[in-house]
Amino acid sequence: MSETVNTPPSATDLKSIETSQTFFQIVYSQFKEHTAAVIGAYLIVFFMLVAILAPAIEWATGTDSDSQNVFNRYKPPFTTVVAPQDVRENAIQTFIRTNPEEATKIQTALLAKNLVQPVRPEDALYDWVNLEKSKALETIQTIDTSKKAELIKMINNFQSFHLFGTDELGRDVLMRLVYGTRVSIGVGVLVAIASAVIGLIIGALAGYYGGIIDTVLMRVTDSLLSLPILPVLVVIAAIDLKKVLGGLVAVSQNLFGDAGGNLAQEFVNNIFSGGKESIYKLVFILCLFSWMTVARLIRGAILSLREREFILASKTLGATDYTIIVRHMFPNVVAPLLVSVTLGVGDSILFEAALSYLGLGIQPPMPSWGNMLFNAQELIYQAPFLAVLPGILIFLVVVSFNFLGDGLQDAIDPKTVRR
Amino acid sequence: MTTYILRRIVQTLMVIVILSYVCFSLMTLMPGDPVELMISANPKITQEDVIRLRAFYGLDQPTYVRYFNWVGEIAKGDLGYSRTYRIPVTEMMGPSLQATFVLSMGSLIFSILVGIPLGIYCALKPNSKVDYIVNIFNFGGISIPSFFLGIVLIIIFSVVLGWLPAGGYQTTGMQYDNLFIELLDKAKYLILPIISLSVQSIGRFSRFSRSAMVEAMRNDFIRTARAKGMSEQVVIWKHGFRNALIPLITIVAISFSSVFSGALITESLFAYPGVGRLIYTSIIGNDFNVAMISFIISIAMVLIMNLVADLLYGAADPRISYK
Repeated sequence: MSETVNTPPSATDLKSIETSQTFFQIVYSQFKEHTAAVIGAYLIVFFMLVAILAPAIEWATGTDSDSQNVFNRYKPPFTTVVAPQDVRENAIQTFIRTNPEEATKIQTALLAKNLVQPVRPEDALYDWVNLEKSKALETIQTIDTSKKAELIKMINNFQSFHLFGTDELGRDVLMRLVYGTRVSIGVGVLVAIASAVIGLIIGALAGYYGGIIDTVLMRVTDSLLSLPILPVLVVIAAIDLKKVLGGLVAVSQNLFGDAGGNLAQEFVNNIFSGGKESIYKLVFILCLFSWMTVARLIRGAILSLREREFILASKTLGATDYTIIVRHMFPNVVAPLLVSVTLGVGDSILFEAALSYLGLGIQPPMPSWGNMLFNAQELIYQAPFLAVLPGILIFLVVVSFNFLGDGLQDAIDPKTVRR
Repeated sequence: MTTYILRRIVQTLMVIVILSYVCFSLMTLMPGDPVELMISANPKITQEDVIRLRAFYGLDQPTYVRYFNWVGEIAKGDLGYSRTYRIPVTEMMGPSLQATFVLSMGSLIFSILVGIPLGIYCALKPNSKVDYIVNIFNFGGISIPSFFLGIVLIIIFSVVLGWLPAGGYQTTGMQYDNLFIELLDKAKYLILPIISLSVQSIGRFSRFSRSAMVEAMRNDFIRTARAKGMSEQVVIWKHGFRNALIPLITIVAISFSSVFSGALITESLFAYPGVGRLIYTSIIGNDFNVAMISFIISIAMVLIMNLVADLLYGAADPRISYK
């Protein structure tokens, strides 16, 4: 007998053949085939980590993301900025003036341990502040004072290394980019998820009930889809949030009396207190104009699901509309919805960047990639690097989300032609 | 057919009217109405003056009353004055509409000419090296922010190489001897804006025409045509492309809206005097009359283009009937 005789598969092989793969196992193995999508997924994970760990990165590098320094504007990449003597002495003078007792204590400690050798004893702190960074830090560690953190921060600010240089206010570009990741990806993900929820609800209502509801909802969807989105966004983004919310307060005062008015006023104050009102506004505006594609998609899916036997079965069993839509239909549209959300994140990041670039999105001092580009274009001839960096990051993240969406689409629905 | 066209026209008009009202009320929510500007310019102004001025400009009335007054003025042919430029709005709209039309049409034609042949080539040679590279470029084109691409193009071609102007519409103070020189000069200013505006739609067209063509070439009638011994050229263009054309028309028609919308950013970046930039600068500069008119006209333009595309759609595909 030759060797080509079929040997029965071993027990483990048999097991792997006979166990059926779950839907997500199939999707996963399909997804792995799409190299670009896998790279995209890794990049997204990396940027998400950067966004989440932004404060940790700030702490680890010892660079303050907000500290401004007008003397160090537009420094090229790989610069180490060392503060001149007068800046150092001014800073320590301010420190002595604001904390006289603590300053005397540190001064005596410095002299007692003979860490500095000033000409006059009252110059001890001035001498210390002019020491080299590592030596000054070493010195201050040995001294027991309640203001240690403040002094360490001061010394750190005097000598800082800027991997990507500094921007128009002398801030560290790397740290601004790191915090910009937070804002840009945060807005993108939030808008994509929120508009998916809106689209899901509207699409399900239109598809399931049909008739007049369908006609009205789809007319609105189509009208919004046909608009040139950017001019519309510009007009809406330019409105004054204070006027809108002032109107809201007045309305709730009329409807619910003083209690309602106060509650609304408190809500408004909350929004403005964090300095984050431009983010709320932007997310709201973008949600308003990005649910339409999801709604169309879900409506189509629900229309075909409506005719299926299992829906008929649950209807005959007396299930309510809510149960049918949420329990039986939604699980069947999760996959296309996921693709749509992934692609939506990329679009939302692009729109956020576009609006911020026009000066109508995220407002400074909060950094976003779009408004960093907006600030950088003023000095595009002198510091082109500043304009290029945020743009590259936007491009990388958006392309990653698009590839990820494409990979998911191929994996979930292998029948579709690659588009 | 006639009822369909009539219904679509009425629908389009309704959308325009509703939008103009929404836009009008949004404008009242923007910072800086005329009286607020006067208050900031004149600190000595009294509360009585403010009330008198509000009544004078009709700002004390509710939004809908002001809207109908404004529509009435427009019906009489009075579009109002631009607060920034001190000239009637009617004089501003013509040139900027023309400029935007040239830019967005140029970009659309350029993207069709580049994107669709690329897509068809990839569809005929699927999974080849070219297909792979073009696919990567398509994704890049869809994902790159047009303003960033514009900035990079300016840095490369204007700052470093100095070949093309960084922005504008025509060389300032230039006397044109004949039409040819004029066109040549203006075309030089159009190159960078058109490229930065087109990259996204090139990516979209190329991806879409590839899939449409692949789908068309899978049909049984393609196999029949080949079996009959037709030349490959005839099979591709007469049988395949004709059928791929139908979804392509849709995507091109939809793209007009997005190209027009992208023009706002491109025009602002390249200081190109089109409607998009007019909308942006007038809103930033509280130039209320200009903002309203330019916004509504550009929306109307896009909606009418969509309507025309819908009607053309039926002409391209005899299977579609208008109900």
